[in-house]
Amino acid sequence: MARKSWMYAVLEAVQYEMRQDKNMIWIYELTPPVASTPGMPVINLEKEFGRKRVVNTGIDENWMASCVLGAGLAGSKAVTYIPYQGNCMCFQVIQNHAGKLRSMTGGMASMPIVFLLEMTGQTPGFAGQHSDYEIDTYYAHIPGVKTVVPSTPTDAKGMMASAIRDPNPVCYLYPAGLRELMEEVPNEQYTTPLDKAAVRTIGSDISIVGSGGGMPEVLKAADLLQKQGMKVETIDLRCLKPMDTETLVKSVQKTKRLLTVDQSYYTLCPGAEVIARCAENVDGARFKRIAFPDAPPPAAPEMFLWMRPNADHIIAAAKKLVG
Amino acid sequence: MFELESSEVSQETAGSAWLPTASRRTFLKGVAGAGAAVSFMSKSAWANGEIGFWAKDLPADKLTEMFNTIVRIRWHERTMVDKMITDPKYRGYNHFYAGQEAVATGVCAALNNKGPFDQLDLVYSTHRPTGHAIAKGVDMKKMAAENDFRATGLNGGYGGEMHLSDKSCGFIGADGMIGPGHVIATGSAFAFRARDSKQVAVVFGGDGTYATPHFHSALNNAALLKLPFIYVLENNLYHQYAHYSYSCPMKDIADAARTYRIPGVVVDGQDVFQVYNVMKTAVDRARAGDGPTLIEAKTYRYYNHWGAPGAEAGQLGAFGYDPLAISSFRPEREVRAWMQRDPVDICRNILVNWGVLTRARADEIEAAAKKEAIDAFAWADKQPFCKPEDGLKNVFVEGVVPARQFG
Repeated sequence: MARKSWMYAVLEAVQYEMRQDKNMIWIYELTPPVASTPGMPVINLEKEFGRKRVVNTGIDENWMASCVLGAGLAGSKAVTYIPYQGNCMCFQVIQNHAGKLRSMTGGMASMPIVFLLEMTGQTPGFAGQHSDYEIDTYYAHIPGVKTVVPSTPTDAKGMMASAIRDPNPVCYLYPAGLRELMEEVPNEQYTTPLDKAAVRTIGSDISIVGSGGGMPEVLKAADLLQKQGMKVETIDLRCLKPMDTETLVKSVQKTKRLLTVDQSYYTLCPGAEVIARCAENVDGARFKRIAFPDAPPPAAPEMFLWMRPNADHIIAAAKKLVG
Repeated sequence: MFELESSEVSQETAGSAWLPTASRRTFLKGVAGAGAAVSFMSKSAWANGEIGFWAKDLPADKLTEMFNTIVRIRWHERTMVDKMITDPKYRGYNHFYAGQEAVATGVCAALNNKGPFDQLDLVYSTHRPTGHAIAKGVDMKKMAAENDFRATGLNGGYGGEMHLSDKSCGFIGADGMIGPGHVIATGSAFAFRARDSKQVAVVFGGDGTYATPHFHSALNNAALLKLPFIYVLENNLYHQYAHYSYSCPMKDIADAARTYRIPGVVVDGQDVFQVYNVMKTAVDRARAGDGPTLIEAKTYRYYNHWGAPGAEAGQLGAFGYDPLAISSFRPEREVRAWMQRDPVDICRNILVNWGVLTRARADEIEAAAKKEAIDAFAWADKQPFCKPEDGLKNVFVEGVVPARQFG
């Protein structure tokens, strides 16, 4: 065990898999696959595996996504790291090709590939094109691709190992706001399932469900509420598709109150899906969701930070629901 | 040089008669245009012996104005760097343009930047927009306020540096993305052609754009439809932190113009008058209905891709290494070599040589530009912050969207 950042943990998983499989490749355009963490060796995939397998490309996310798809179809495992500015530029190839090919080929197409899609949502000041978080909804809506959004370094490592070993295309969302997050992460390779939510705190008064970049605020709010005597069950979705209905429903059956928290836009946010699944399965429960308003993120921090859901919003909404 | 085979020329002329209703006259004009395009294609403007003539014939006040624009951009840059690294309260960020001033200045000097909106030439900018904005005529004070997210800024604090825009001077504006804006610009050009306007649409792009499908889509469609569209590719050698050899297999990106049968010109982006001359040729061609041009300006940015790590207050240039750029990035010796061919110095020396300016007058202009920039940032500092709830405005023309963060 050692304290590792989110991306260090991810690259550790990738490094292990690339050492096992000489055919596996990695494509990037801006962010080199390099990470360091105190007391641990620097990971530099480009240096270790060479530029034949690890390629810095021109700015063309459509090509990057298509390239790993083609590599997968040719029988190689492949990962591409798409930075947040371009995380929808490759949408079409994932939506219309990666997600459909297995079905269209009657099950023959093999796509052991990972689209590592960086997203923000934590960044005031950059406005519109560089502050969005809504891609969780977009990619989770596509049939045929698994969509996951780990929020801790430990999950990030285990889920990357699973994603690479998974024979299906996986959209692996990276909340860049968690870049600085550090925690103890095992050094050895392990896997974390791509279809299970994580219950972070156990309680009986209310279920609060969040994901990705929103989780630190959810946990902060839960901590403060618990200190005030509310028994809060917090759930980290981790997997948007397939979504872990069982864990969600079990929790809401117990608490009868569900609050969802999203950094993406309100309309059709992942929380809406969580509420729909629980409403279908639990009688007599109450629901509430908070999310970013249906507005492009404005540049000015005053506006942006007022609009982004935070711990205060979560606490107020939880009290309304429980009180 | 790139002489086309006769079969290729005939393809070109055939292409020019794409309109089913094309008259014989249109057809012959197309043939002549194709000939001109061939001789113009992918050459260095300097090698063509065309340098200095138009620009040298411009009135002295126009030439002086070009120098003024260059130093205004330069001092806006330097003031902003100083602000970023000395004032902890300052929140703006910048993709710096210092070193590339001659390109924006020479390009915009050949455009119509004043008047009613339906007569303005439109400029689509990049994520490195402040130089383009100043050259097009954007108010420096309001831009400084926008870059610090003030309510009275150019775009009310909604945009910030990467989304600056000003309809009043035809500056469609900055774009945080690489590529899409270039295709969109061809749409403006299409509208101009459809309504028989003499306006032109100009897009600034960087060397990184070459790798995108948008570069090729913009030029292909502009060429097919003979649109009044000018692609100004600022090759500053690095897209973000990667040398352009990572994204383009050619030394001269202007060579790509051959594929689309349009003129492709390489120009020294450090010399504002060479830039003006090739731009003037391209604008004349576009206004005459002869179609698009690709201009590649060889230039260089002094500061890093983003922000100014390594910079020192009062010092020009930044030679630090960005924390993101853990792998290859540019060598310091290269930065220093480019700084020896500084666009401000080149412009000043040429105008002194031509007898348009004295050194003393040039110094006065530069001092005034410096004062304007310092005053602009001081004015911006006093502007009000945005009201949080105004974030719900401007989503649609009417009304506000509901706040959804409270539950």
